[in-house]
Amino acid sequence: MLIELKDVNKTYFGAQPLHVLKGINLEIERGEFVSIMGASGSGKSTLLNILGILDNYDSGEYRINGKLIWDLTEAKAAEYRNKMIGFIFQSYNLIGFKTAVENVELPLFYQGVSRHKRHDMAMEYIERLGLKDWSGHYPNEMSGGQKQRVAIARALVTKPDIILADEPTGALDSKTSVEIMELLKELNERDKLTIIVVTHESGVANYTNRIIHIKDGIIGEIEENQAHNSVRFGSDGTLK
Amino acid sequence: MLDLFSEIWSTLRQNKLRTTLTGFAVSWGIIIIIVLIGTGNGLMNALMNNANDTVQNIIAVYPGVSSKPYNGIKEGARMRFNERDIAFSDQFSEKIDRAFGSLEFSDTISYGKEALSSEVFGVDPMIKDSWRVRIVTGRFINQSDLKDNSKHIVIDDDAASQLLGDDKDYSKLLGKYINVGNIPFKVVGINEAEEQSWGHDSYIPYTTARTMRTEGAWLNRITLEFHDLQTKEANEEFENAYKRAMNTFHGFDPEDTRTTYMRNYYIGNQQMSKAMRIMRLALWILGFLTLLSGIVGVSNIMLITVKERIHEFGIRKALGAKPISIMKLIVVESVIITAFFGYIGMVVGMAADYFLDKTIGSHPMDMGIMQLYVFKNIGVGFDVALEATLLLIVAGTIAGIIPAWKGAKVRPIEALRAEK
Repeated sequence: MLIELKDVNKTYFGAQPLHVLKGINLEIERGEFVSIMGASGSGKSTLLNILGILDNYDSGEYRINGKLIWDLTEAKAAEYRNKMIGFIFQSYNLIGFKTAVENVELPLFYQGVSRHKRHDMAMEYIERLGLKDWSGHYPNEMSGGQKQRVAIARALVTKPDIILADEPTGALDSKTSVEIMELLKELNERDKLTIIVVTHESGVANYTNRIIHIKDGIIGEIEENQAHNSVRFGSDGTLK
Repeated sequence: MLDLFSEIWSTLRQNKLRTTLTGFAVSWGIIIIIVLIGTGNGLMNALMNNANDTVQNIIAVYPGVSSKPYNGIKEGARMRFNERDIAFSDQFSEKIDRAFGSLEFSDTISYGKEALSSEVFGVDPMIKDSWRVRIVTGRFINQSDLKDNSKHIVIDDDAASQLLGDDKDYSKLLGKYINVGNIPFKVVGINEAEEQSWGHDSYIPYTTARTMRTEGAWLNRITLEFHDLQTKEANEEFENAYKRAMNTFHGFDPEDTRTTYMRNYYIGNQQMSKAMRIMRLALWILGFLTLLSGIVGVSNIMLITVKERIHEFGIRKALGAKPISIMKLIVVESVIITAFFGYIGMVVGMAADYFLDKTIGSHPMDMGIMQLYVFKNIGVGFDVALEATLLLIVAGTIAGIIPAWKGAKVRPIEALRAEK
């Protein structure tokens, strides 16, 4: 089992304590392509942050590859994120003053990979995502779809165990959204990558093989979706 | 390291104007430090013309007048030094290496139509080293002069030039006869005039001076060359012991302190160096305070930079940047800004020192009877440049540390949520 969550709880203590995750139990196997779906306020972003070791949880157990993720120092958490997780964000989160290839190199930089090797590896992924001619361009010279491809290349370059995609199509038009989802699907099928997509769009979720519904901090229905017919959207290429 | 620098270079390029303005404050601080210390050095060099000389271990003893009656000697009796007092100093051989007396008087020295007033010292040849007489041409008084009562004289270069009718080539006077009063003396050597000395100094053999003195061959001064007196206390103790012995020897009250006057060059020198150290420190503090505003400026800008880049740091952290690497990024950036602009400031400051040295440093102030250098050799040495560089690196680190800590401690989810 790649990912195991047992009774994970999370409360935000503010002026009004907010119990966001109320005992999440979840298992995801290596090579799965799943989506976590829920409305805003359902706790899906919090769950994503915990899965991505960007945030900690109050009680329960979270294991990646059997390794307990609990009470980590910032440095250790950074190291785990770097080695085990690749992030794809809604807003791409590319660094504006770095070129496409430099952005892709960044996770390798934090692994201490040498300059040349880093560049070669980054170029390899840039090319695989069809951005060879754009490697020297800055993010603000690229379209949304291209930026997201750079972000995907950056997520893949360290060969992580898990790809976490947070609303990967949220800022894209429907045509590009389809392209990106097709790309993720292909990566899952061809490279056997474990991909978790967090979304509120059923069309996006429909691309995945399993849809985990989350509502009010509790896992609801878990829908097997091998046939990709859970919703009207997506089946005929219409996402939005 | 190269990676780190290229990272920083790309961020610095983002904010050229801001970086430059911040850097200016640092440059300015360093310019002030270098100019302050440079002119301070100039001032001290001028004050202590022979600052490079090793410390003189000498005490000059001058005769005084008794302040109380003792054993039949009335109050107001003169102390008279003579040659027996030189031999007497042998009993202090534990501390005193050498003792020599000198006879001193003022007289007119003349050559042709030119004449001037000079202090004439009848001396032992050994005094040359003790008094730091610097011969520029010819020789000093020697032992055979002393033995033969020769009428040989050593005069200073300024006096020589004046006697030649303001001829800068004073060596022409060497071997010529000049008059001291109305006795002709042969010039055997010329010494370097002490800068900022009021008047001229001439040296003749001690034995010759003795025969010229009509009012009696009393010594005007005894010079003691000593060793092993390191502290002020040790010096005072020795001086008091010497005074008491001298009083006893001459039949004065041993506790009478007015019978002899002493000038301790060693202690004087120590006090002078202490004063100079304090002055140097004060200048550093002043300069540092100026630099401080630059450091605060850098720190302030780094804080703004960190705030602006918080989202970027969030991305970096999500991708695996450890807090320490974020911290390093900011501190090194701060050090680079300070060091780069500080270096520019140092170069400009040194150029300013050079300019000052060539202007106010090379033109003495004319005070009518004498010329006075207020500044001499304005500038800073390699040591100051090195100290300033170190100061800059430390300052840059300090300026960067608080912003860096702020940048490093922010949690990745908060940073990612921050506005771009």
